[in-house]
Amino acid sequence: MSHEVEVHEVRLVGEADWIAAVDICRVCRIELDAVIELAELGLAALRGGSMQEWQFPAAALPRLAMAARLMRDLGVNASGAALAVELLETQRELERRIRHLERLTD
Amino acid sequence: MEYRDYYKILGVARTATAEDIKKSYRRLARKYHPDVSKEKNAEEKFKEVQEAYEVLKDPEKRAAYDQLGSGWKSGQQFRPPPDWASGFEFRGGARPGGGGGAHAFEEEGFSDFFSSLFGGASPFATSPRQRQQAGRDHHARVDIDLEEAFGGGTRTLDLKRPELKTDGTVELRARTVRVTIPAGVTDGQLIRLAGQGEAAPGGGRTGDLYLELHIRPHRLFQLDGRDVTLTLPIAPWEAALGATVTVPTLGGTVEMQVPPGAQSGQKLRLRGRGLPGQPPGDAYVQLKIVLPPASSPEARALYEDMRAKLAGFDPRADLRR
Repeated sequence: MSHEVEVHEVRLVGEADWIAAVDICRVCRIELDAVIELAELGLAALRGGSMQEWQFPAAALPRLAMAARLMRDLGVNASGAALAVELLETQRELERRIRHLERLTD
Repeated sequence: MEYRDYYKILGVARTATAEDIKKSYRRLARKYHPDVSKEKNAEEKFKEVQEAYEVLKDPEKRAAYDQLGSGWKSGQQFRPPPDWASGFEFRGGARPGGGGGAHAFEEEGFSDFFSSLFGGASPFATSPRQRQQAGRDHHARVDIDLEEAFGGGTRTLDLKRPELKTDGTVELRARTVRVTIPAGVTDGQLIRLAGQGEAAPGGGRTGDLYLELHIRPHRLFQLDGRDVTLTLPIAPWEAALGATVTVPTLGGTVEMQVPPGAQSGQKLRLRGRGLPGQPPGDAYVQLKIVLPPASSPEARALYEDMRAKLAGFDPRADLRR
């Protein structure tokens, strides 16, 4: 049976926000070691002195989540996932530019 | 409910080895993975493949599934037999090979066929003992229109949340969440709904729900951060002589001056007319000169007159430098 929930509290996660590494692991369903490896591969910045204090920029969550899905679903390792995420982002940016140029030439 | 032929979905024979099944899953997952695929219905196909692999990769689930017999066809009406799963031994008294609660989330979106055999109250389902004490945060993608990103809006989401039943089993409970999307969100923006993730069976902290907003491509506007670009067709005389033109923006139409001597591709800026924010984005109008066709004698005469009177104009002068 479905029931309706009215949600009033919506918080924008801004560019200045940071998310604890442990929360990133929970959201992305990924081990801490893998998140750290993705960060070392340049997929996200990491701050904090100790493991308990480690945080990632909130803006990096979508790309970390994508990398986690690729690792989990396709069986690629962290290096492969990081490479794939960066290539997919480049592809999407190029597709966006192509769509824009096509509008000028159509 | 309809029977699902998991072997057919993975494109393997009923006698396939575990290695064959894994290889086929990897190939199909690569083809239909929503993050990389451009196939039609990729997400739906990927879920089918995931569901089939979830069963066939696990020897106990596969054996139970095989027990149904090979006489079924995909799409055929199906009901689990009353003695379903009896006679099986389950490791740890719960889901065989289960990796804890993570699977419950992955199984969202699986078919009723799967749920009736391997989910909910079935002996294959995740044991509450295996679940974590705190509820997980959930992460979902929501596609919105550019107009919603500009002006905000309300979006109703159908979600499924695993909940503990009184008999100790876990079932996916459907719920509807109404979310207010603030004005000025950008593509890829995250919003957090505190306490709307997974409930913790032990009364621990309920997870949060993170929504990743994606703005659909717009018919007129291209989005880049908070800036929007509109390609504006103009007539040659408007470009040559200058003109006041009416331009659509996200906030409504505005009058804009095209300077004399404007060129195709030239960008004009309407400050603050992009997505709201601190600071707000700008709207860029990229001019595109559209030639009237020389389809009537009068139009042809005009073009011939231009050729005669503008004989000194060489659009390819730069090529000879």
